[in-house]
Amino acid sequence: MTADQGATRPVIQTRGLSKRYRKVTALREATITVPEGRISALIGPNGAGKTTLLRLLAGLAWPSGGDVAVLGSTPRQDPAFLAGIGFLAQEIPLYRRLSAEDHIGAGARLNPRWDAASVRQRLKSLDIPPDQAVGTLSGGQRAQVALALTLAKRPRLLLLDEPVAALDPLARRHFLATLADAVAAGGLTVLLSSHLVADLERICDHLILLAASRVQLCGDIDTVLAEHQVLVGPRKDTTALERTHTLVQAVRTARQITLLIRLNGPVTDPAWETADVGLEELVLGYLGQGAPPALTHLTTVGED
Amino acid sequence: MTWLTWRQHRHQAYIAAAALAAFAVLLLVTGLQMASQYRSALAACTASHTCGTLPSTLTLGSPVLFILVTLTLAVPCLLGVFWGGPLVASELETGTGQFAWMQSVTRKRWLTVKSGWVLLGATVWGGAVSALVTWWSSPENALRHQNFDVGKFDIQGIVPMGYALFAVALGMAAGTVLRRTLPALAVTLGVFAALRLVIATWLRPHYMSAITTVFSVVRPATPAGSYWLLTSGAVGPGGQRYSSGLLTINNVPIIPRACRTTFSQGVRGMLSCVRDHGFRGYLTYQPASRYWAFQGIETGVFVFLAAALIAVTAFVLLRRDV
Repeated sequence: MTADQGATRPVIQTRGLSKRYRKVTALREATITVPEGRISALIGPNGAGKTTLLRLLAGLAWPSGGDVAVLGSTPRQDPAFLAGIGFLAQEIPLYRRLSAEDHIGAGARLNPRWDAASVRQRLKSLDIPPDQAVGTLSGGQRAQVALALTLAKRPRLLLLDEPVAALDPLARRHFLATLADAVAAGGLTVLLSSHLVADLERICDHLILLAASRVQLCGDIDTVLAEHQVLVGPRKDTTALERTHTLVQAVRTARQITLLIRLNGPVTDPAWETADVGLEELVLGYLGQGAPPALTHLTTVGED
Repeated sequence: MTWLTWRQHRHQAYIAAAALAAFAVLLLVTGLQMASQYRSALAACTASHTCGTLPSTLTLGSPVLFILVTLTLAVPCLLGVFWGGPLVASELETGTGQFAWMQSVTRKRWLTVKSGWVLLGATVWGGAVSALVTWWSSPENALRHQNFDVGKFDIQGIVPMGYALFAVALGMAAGTVLRRTLPALAVTLGVFAALRLVIATWLRPHYMSAITTVFSVVRPATPAGSYWLLTSGAVGPGGQRYSSGLLTINNVPIIPRACRTTFSQGVRGMLSCVRDHGFRGYLTYQPASRYWAFQGIETGVFVFLAAALIAVTAFVLLRRDV
């Protein structure tokens, strides 16, 4: 960890990160990089390893193999490291018998930086009673309290596990806007998991795609989209194409074939009609949800 | 951390304080009554020179109260189950640990402060109950000298503090390893009861080697004060011991055939006959002077076990996934 590396060092960097539980491998050889200032979408179906990855980054779980660096160091039990990270677990962990105000008080005593005013203001604008036990609040209200508390820590990296799942569409939009503002103000990087691509598309500029415990894609969304193309053409052998490019998904009908490929140079064969790919299309292509499984060819693409 | 610990546990603390206050009032009132009852009985028997029979003629207080006081045997276990068991387990089970452990506080400090306060609270609470019981029992102890016996030893003096500390540490460790509150409570209850029983029955008698006295069957010897009787019986002419006493061993009377006919002449005559055949009586016991040494050793054993369990808790919480 030298000084000159510090300036350009990515906020999150893992190499071959794996996590095995007794019988299952939750995360296999994950290599990802998230530069500073990004809002990164961690996308994947249920059970893909999203929560495991986030917990490894937060230091709540220990890796079984590989390297992980968060904010320039291995996740560790150290107040300075913990102060830089905001983590919100999917189950929205709050002490049910304590009030929001109690949680604000606890945060104030347990963190070097703490923006109590921002939490109170947020709760006020959402009409959430601060003195009521959080166990008596609705699920959405609890999620809002937990999010406000996570932001109040003023972390450099926010790890959010399905943060919008419990929110109604309006609250969801408000929350994502708040997040975008916080990142725009500088010094904050966000990694948030979801399986709702549409929500993330609006604010995220970076993507990590997980499926079957493996990282399928990792990179800036614009770059990733530019690297992929949809090809439509007559039914023919794709071997020649696959020699140069990586076939992600092929959907065959009686007359034609639609391919999602990861480009390695331009497609020169005039038989193919090319089209740009959208985020949702890309994600579904990789997750193989766009076609019946039998027609799906899922390729693993690791980040190099 | 202290602030959060207090916020989380203040209701438990209030309930515990209220229960202790109620118990204290009950014991103070009845304890003062018993003390004055004992004093006046002692004054009366001194005047009439009948103090030798006082233990058999005087009954202090009410049996219900003695049962209630004996029930304080369960206090350390309850502290372990209700304070120790959920301490880490509930945080793991409900996920709230992910709130506490993602503030700028290491899990080590979280555990140190939180478990420190709860362990201290339990020890003080257990100690307060024990202090009340010890004071309340003093007339009874002076009258019957039974406070070294199993059951009374365990609720007086300093050992209850050791038990309370151990029980809470056990609850914490069980909760941390099992990660579930309810199983942790069951394990705490079972292990605590089993270990206490094993130690009181098989280990405690051997903290120091017991003293044996051999005496004439006609004039049985009684050690002074609150000694703890371990075994008693008869020693035959060849030196062999009969722990069942003189009358039977496996339903075969060990009394010499010649003496059996003396039954009709009363116990005294029979005992003289037995003595003349070379039989003597024996006692093995721990003398009253060792009471505090035993209290200290037993407390030490449980403090040591508690320390080991705290180390297990820390190891699991700091080195494993949470």
